[in-house]
Amino acid sequence: MIKETITILNENGLHALPASRFVKLADKFTCKVELIKDGIKVNGKSIMGILTLACEKGAKVQLVCNGKDEKEAFAALRQILEGQD
Amino acid sequence: MPKEKILHGIAASKGIAYGKAFIYEIKKTEVFQTPILPVYLKEEVARFERAIEKTKEELNKIKEQINREIGEDFGQFLDAQIMMLDDESIIEMVKQRIFDEKKNVEYIYNEVINEYAKKLGESKNTYFKERVVDIYDVGERVLKNLLGISHTSVLEAPPGSIIVARDVPPSEATLINPKNVIGIAMELGGRTSHTAITARALEIPAILGIGELMGKVQNGDDIIVDGERGIVIIHPSAGKITYYESLQKKSQQLEKALLPVCELKPETRDGKHIDISANIEFYAEASHALKYGAIGIGLFRTEFLYLARRGSPTEDEQFKVYNALAKKMKPHPVIIRTYDLGGDKLFSDYHEANPFLGWRAIRVCLQEKDFFKTQIRAILRASVNKNIKIMFPMIATYEEIKRVKLIFNEVKQELKSKKIEFDEGLQLGIMMETPSAALLAPYLAQEVDFFSIGSNDLTQYTLAVDRGNEKISQLFDHYHPAVLKLIKEIASAGHSAHIWVGLCGELAGDPLAIPLLIGLGIDELSMSPSSIPRAKLVLRTLTIPNCQEIAQEALNYRTALEVKKFLNRIVRKKFSGIEAVMK
Repeated sequence: MIKETITILNENGLHALPASRFVKLADKFTCKVELIKDGIKVNGKSIMGILTLACEKGAKVQLVCNGKDEKEAFAALRQILEGQD
Repeated sequence: MPKEKILHGIAASKGIAYGKAFIYEIKKTEVFQTPILPVYLKEEVARFERAIEKTKEELNKIKEQINREIGEDFGQFLDAQIMMLDDESIIEMVKQRIFDEKKNVEYIYNEVINEYAKKLGESKNTYFKERVVDIYDVGERVLKNLLGISHTSVLEAPPGSIIVARDVPPSEATLINPKNVIGIAMELGGRTSHTAITARALEIPAILGIGELMGKVQNGDDIIVDGERGIVIIHPSAGKITYYESLQKKSQQLEKALLPVCELKPETRDGKHIDISANIEFYAEASHALKYGAIGIGLFRTEFLYLARRGSPTEDEQFKVYNALAKKMKPHPVIIRTYDLGGDKLFSDYHEANPFLGWRAIRVCLQEKDFFKTQIRAILRASVNKNIKIMFPMIATYEEIKRVKLIFNEVKQELKSKKIEFDEGLQLGIMMETPSAALLAPYLAQEVDFFSIGSNDLTQYTLAVDRGNEKISQLFDHYHPAVLKLIKEIASAGHSAHIWVGLCGELAGDPLAIPLLIGLGIDELSMSPSSIPRAKLVLRTLTIPNCQEIAQEALNYRTALEVKKFLNRIVRKKFSGIEAVMK
């Protein structure tokens, strides 16, 4: 299991577009993907879950990947969370 | 007879329509609760899966329609909706709860959607809060498919309908059929809302942001939408109807008369060619530009890309739009203007006392270099079509254009090193819209390939008038001699440096101004697409020496009123045949 805290850098937070990109990408991996913010844990393959976290710029979220391809998944998903678009 | 009522709103799309009200209301589907026998639980889940599939088909169909008719950049919100529909957490939770609670799927699904909507609604951030609309939009579709209810849809509007609504969700706005729907009146929305954009693309008049409206109109009521004045008239009096019908008839006649003009060459009677091009703000308008006979796009405003997303579009998203536009307009040129909004549109926590004099347009771009480079890269990549020019807004100093070019060349180098193709000969120009730029024009002209005068902002900054302020808006006048003198300076400086000079404000489409502008040496006029036929007609009655004479004389007056009086008198006298198109 990989677990690390990541700061959202996107000006508009984790809004619908990056969130949908995140889900699309997460779906390609077999490992379990979760996001945790302020103690609330959501499924990283669920756009509704991610949106309800309402991550604004500067928010700190924990990205958790657990499974066979967790390493690749973590590296790829982290880029979206830290991305600017 | 019911009494006539006049309501005011935002004129979001021009034109006049007189028809019958078609009330579009999103009624929340009523959901019942019923226990399900254990043997039927599997069928309940299957019903749910079928409803999801059917809804997905619907959304994909709408998405395709948007991509085809309005442009890919506008269909993106549907990607998010489709994902919400397909969300594995929701689907799993619904299935689980059907088995646990042994209740019907409508009830369970509705509960789950409401829980998510509630969580989102509690967010302090308006962006996330507003996504509740998307969730309900999706949820309603699924519920209707579960219950076999057909949608209350704008598709059902009979011919001659004026849609009256509190709000039309984006997925619905795209279904508006211009054969049946002739106007739109809405309680919510503004100029940049989805409905406004759809209405402009379809050339249907629309008044939005009316406030209280629904209680005042019944299905089938007579209603007039006046997209020129921004008013809606319910139960219009016989007098009003006659008046508007005659207005409509006149504009239809004029349109008909002007139709053959679209094909004509834009040149003066003595054979001087003037580029007449179109100002547009989104891809779908390119077809209007072509229909009305534009020789290219003189101004593509890119702001909508940012407003629609409430943030910055990615390089690829921008590239797609620029590339599609360039392909559509080939071989005609497309001038793309870079970001021209205030910093507040990018950074929600940024506010300032004096936005017009503040951190906006090129000033934002020069500080937010990565943001600026993303847009430049997208434009350069699209320039492989060989018909794109780039234009930078609100230049006020010489240093600014120097810095812009530095960044521009940096991006070019980066693309080259990555072996990404672009048009090496791409022209680079600037908007001339500040008095300081006009006064520095001889120096600026050495640095660029063209000038485009933004006459609206140039007027505003020269006369120090905010035209949005009702108390002083009468001071705003394009014909002010101070403005005309600056236009002349810009044109002369441009020509001395052998670069071309265009003008892309409202003045460009004003028949009275055209002889004057041609006389001042303007080479290109860019205007809203529907103004083009008339401008061509005016142009074709002119001769260069007469225009020059007029321009020279016009510069001798002291007030805007004197200039206009002179023009009205002389233009009619000098150019026979112009009378017919002046009104």
